[in-house]
Amino acid sequence: MAEIEDMLRKQGEKFNQIEPPPEMEERLHLALENSSMRKRSGKMWSLRVAVLIMILFLFGSQIDSFAYYGKKLLGYDQIMTGTLRELNELGSGQTIGKSYTFKNGVSITLDGIMLDDNQMLVFYTMKDPRGTVDELYSNHSMSLRGLFKEYQMHSGQGNMNEEKTVMKNMFQFQAPLFFEKKLKLTFYLGEGAQKETGEIPFTLDWTKAMGHSIKKPLQAVMEIDGNKIRFDSIIASPTTTVIKGQIQSIWALAQDEMKGERIRPYYMDLKLLANGREVSRQGSGISTGMKGITFHQEFDALPKDLKELKLQLASFTADFDVHEEVELNINDREKSLEILGQKIVINEVFHKNGDTFIKITSEENVVLTQVDLIIDNEKVDLEETTTDQYEKKADGAILHTRILRFPGSGSKLKLDIQRIVYEKNYHKTMDIPLD
Amino acid sequence: MDITLVKEAKRGSRNALVRLIMDEKQDYYRLAYAYTKNQDDALDALADMIVILYEKISVLKNEACFDTWSRTILVNCCKQILRKKKKIILFDKMPEISHEGEFRQKEQEILLDSALSKLSPKHQEVLKLRFFLDFEYQTIAEILKIPVGTVRSRISTGLAKLKNILGDENYGGN
Repeated sequence: MAEIEDMLRKQGEKFNQIEPPPEMEERLHLALENSSMRKRSGKMWSLRVAVLIMILFLFGSQIDSFAYYGKKLLGYDQIMTGTLRELNELGSGQTIGKSYTFKNGVSITLDGIMLDDNQMLVFYTMKDPRGTVDELYSNHSMSLRGLFKEYQMHSGQGNMNEEKTVMKNMFQFQAPLFFEKKLKLTFYLGEGAQKETGEIPFTLDWTKAMGHSIKKPLQAVMEIDGNKIRFDSIIASPTTTVIKGQIQSIWALAQDEMKGERIRPYYMDLKLLANGREVSRQGSGISTGMKGITFHQEFDALPKDLKELKLQLASFTADFDVHEEVELNINDREKSLEILGQKIVINEVFHKNGDTFIKITSEENVVLTQVDLIIDNEKVDLEETTTDQYEKKADGAILHTRILRFPGSGSKLKLDIQRIVYEKNYHKTMDIPLD
Repeated sequence: MDITLVKEAKRGSRNALVRLIMDEKQDYYRLAYAYTKNQDDALDALADMIVILYEKISVLKNEACFDTWSRTILVNCCKQILRKKKKIILFDKMPEISHEGEFRQKEQEILLDSALSKLSPKHQEVLKLRFFLDFEYQTIAEILKIPVGTVRSRISTGLAKLKNILGDENYGGN
């Protein structure tokens, strides 16, 4: 219990560093000045809301009758993968064709969706007659709500015309639960102080949903350097193939955190081989939460004539706690260190304009993520990293040389390396049985 | 806290009221932030609070109670904002690193935050007030208008639940 109290207190320390923003006083004055005006405008707003609801209601029912006008989504070829284009050609997916127009003239049309066991893809067109659809893209966000829950958005991409008036977007959402029928896509548009919300409700047509071809638990473990990577499940559906698993359990994570030996995974290079050929990768994610460190990796859909499926862990990139102190002298040249098997060369240590500079070289994928310099027993933060140089060696390795600048100078120098990121190659392979 | 300022505020001085809050701006802001977790909402909550303080300060009988009274109102304003708030999903979630020192990971925060978020709001708030803001049991009791005994029991239940949540995940992976 004391451990948890300590963790809470440690987290609480950040609250002592939070400073109120300079505008706080002005906000308080403004709030007081506006408070009487606010009461008056309240009624107007509710009237406006009532009018808006009526208009939406009228339009809503009209637009519904135009839905299901066609089977194929037009204009999305450039953002669809090959697999999605094929599915689109076959008329898979559900066309919707419902729009919402914002006060500033911007309109959003939900053209259609594709749904299978892995995901729901949402295709929509944004039109901005002012020619600023690119700005709009970064100022909008959306949410998808069903009966009981909100479905998470995973990723998305868009493609716009040269005039910047039309943008076609494809966004990927968590697949809705099987009992969902009516969903609501809400768009939030914010430009400056203006914020507006637009809703497009639609009905899911489950007869258009595409299900899955493989859906099974994996229960496989790969051991790498004392860490167990657990592969939990594979779901192969017509649009994509998703593999999920866990890199570290929450308990191991908490224990390492307390010991100061955390591993923070950045990237896992996982390859999926179907009939001996690599399936193209679509995306991946690593997250830390209540289930510990979990990952998901997405690949393209599997070939139809699947005979053999293998999973290969090519490499693993992570940030490791290290706690390494290295004594330095001002005239040190080409001093070699090895941290967790990674070679780092201190090429040069020098003073200039009252600051201390340290030139280092390592392999390209090695980064000292947390490093301080102790100058005459006083710790100083890294100010900046400059002059990047990359050199390709004959064996293909790329060396990265850069200069770290620390403010201040002194005679006793100690480099305090607390965390380091590097990539390690493994090439471990396992079979995924197809029965 | 300056009692004369409270008296001035009771007579209708807006400046005195703003001064009262600004004199302890860190405390007010951090309390709002503990609930809302972001600057915009924290400032909104503070703005809502000061309007309510202004409207109701004339009925505050004991000037010495201004601190607790205003903090109770602030907490309620924060809760109101959290209730109203819509969830907006941001597109750019992936941090990038390329250089030394650019990166400060926040897993521990995320870890505890998500564990805390599994607790009921009542347990969450006492744990945050106690451990994040270092409030005494008595202060928490006064702000939340609940008996000290209830604060104690909510803190110990909250801690036990937090331990369970973290411990429950122990089955995985090993």
